[in-house]
Amino acid sequence: MPAPSSLITPGSLSWNASSRTFPPSAAVPAPATRLSTSWLAEQGRLPLVFMGLGLTWLVIATATIVLDPRLLALPHSAREVIALTHAWVLGFFVTVATGAVYQLAPVALGTTLWSERAGWWHCGLHATGVPLMVHAFARWDLVLLGAGGTLVGTGIVLFAVNAWCTIHRSGKRDAVAWSLALAAGWLVVTALAGLTLVANHLRGFWLADPLALLRAHAHLGLAGFFVTLLQGVTFRLVPMFTLGDVPDWRPVRAGLWCSQIGLLGLVPSLAWHRGHAAAAFGLLLLVGMLASGWALLQTLARRKKRHLDPGVRAFLRGAAGLLAAAGLGLLLVWPTTSWGSEPGGFSAMVYAVILLGAGLLPAIAGMMCKIVPFLTWLRAYGPKIGRGPTPSAAALTHPCLQTWAFAIQGVAVAALATGAWRLSAPWLEAGAWLLAAGVGLFLADMIGVLHHLWRPSGETPGGAGQKTPP
Amino acid sequence: MNTTGTDADAVWRALASIPDPEFGINIVDLGLIYSVACTDENIHVVMTLTTPACPSGAWIHEGAQAALRRLPGVGDVRVDLVFDPAWNTEMLSANARRQLGWTGATRP
Repeated sequence: MPAPSSLITPGSLSWNASSRTFPPSAAVPAPATRLSTSWLAEQGRLPLVFMGLGLTWLVIATATIVLDPRLLALPHSAREVIALTHAWVLGFFVTVATGAVYQLAPVALGTTLWSERAGWWHCGLHATGVPLMVHAFARWDLVLLGAGGTLVGTGIVLFAVNAWCTIHRSGKRDAVAWSLALAAGWLVVTALAGLTLVANHLRGFWLADPLALLRAHAHLGLAGFFVTLLQGVTFRLVPMFTLGDVPDWRPVRAGLWCSQIGLLGLVPSLAWHRGHAAAAFGLLLLVGMLASGWALLQTLARRKKRHLDPGVRAFLRGAAGLLAAAGLGLLLVWPTTSWGSEPGGFSAMVYAVILLGAGLLPAIAGMMCKIVPFLTWLRAYGPKIGRGPTPSAAALTHPCLQTWAFAIQGVAVAALATGAWRLSAPWLEAGAWLLAAGVGLFLADMIGVLHHLWRPSGETPGGAGQKTPP
Repeated sequence: MNTTGTDADAVWRALASIPDPEFGINIVDLGLIYSVACTDENIHVVMTLTTPACPSGAWIHEGAQAALRRLPGVGDVRVDLVFDPAWNTEMLSANARRQLGWTGATRP
């Protein structure tokens, strides 16, 4: 290569504030490997399909509550309530979270997904199995439930194997990699436990309190999959979206250790009605979550992007909601308290509404506010970059809609929790309609974003990409 | 044929027309461009990404090449992607820091 006639660095330009060269021109390292165009074209399609499926389930689950808000006044063991819970958890939360892992795991681990094909099989099995399961729960058709559960379980095993092989390929063994591996493992165990419960209902090979087993199964999934996942992935996502860094990984690792040990003890304690043990291990789980919360606050304090997007704010509110729910859950299992879940599941329903509505809903929907615009941008505007004006991913969203959506959802959950607590139909009805309004605004924003896949804009909103001389 | 060689300012302006999708800040202000060398009509750019696994990185890299090839009179365009030294927030320009609302010290 001939010697350059001029070597220009940012500092040499009159309108640039820099005078430093990164790196010095004499020490330019070898270029990194380029990715193929076919890989670029495929990028983001699989997680986007999961996001679309999740949004469909959000509509179905919300509509179910609007059509019959009194479901939340029923015992949590009622078949309609179990159907509703699976519509929310498997239909919306798990669909979005597993779809997000297909996008985030390779980014967090610095590698590519082990098998895109296995991801598509998971998508198909999940899309077929979850409706069967929800329908079977509502009709209490255990054979159909077993069939739907087997499809979903097979998809989850494919998901877990894909995640584990991706982690193995990356060579990473940090807290984020461990949280991904453990969360995938807990999801497999949850699915197997669910199938075992169905088989036990059909064959009766294990004489145990079905309500206690149901609670153990629920905590395997909610704490095992979601909390474990958030305890690791948060520390890649939040620094990425706020241009920050994790100052100290010790509380992250400590949080993960405590929650895993807590969960290992909590689940059998719930299944076998060991009140003191459940309280002790529940406390350990809460301590683990508090350690992760502390690490998150430290990470946020070091962010360079001071203004937080509505999606990130919702995600943080969801994390706080999960902590509050964990505290409430501890009260429920505390042996000497009068708050315990008596027959009828009165207090347990409040706990479930707060855990799902104030914890997982803002956390998962907030995450979607970052992931869906980015995936849409990748497909709609990635190929146009450098060839014409392109908006930023954030410019595809309507922050005002998002802010209102999350605010109304928050009020809705408060009303629903009050209704479930007081067994009040007016509170439940008001909460259901507010939830529909909040979810409607959120959907409007998401549809507006996804619209760019079919009709990309040629504008550059807010002048993004233009250099402003100081 | 460009007899006067490629205008370096035009190269920087072309690169500054490429926004990072997450922050909406152009890649020059973000500090992703390590160096630009112009030899007659040929351009050699060394750039990085905020992280090696940046999901939009491949498009940004492709986009930088496309933007430079659109410049009038340009011959050979080479854009090398490097990760040593790794990008860090100290590489943000004063303009980028203003957009982010970060009041930390600006890079020298």
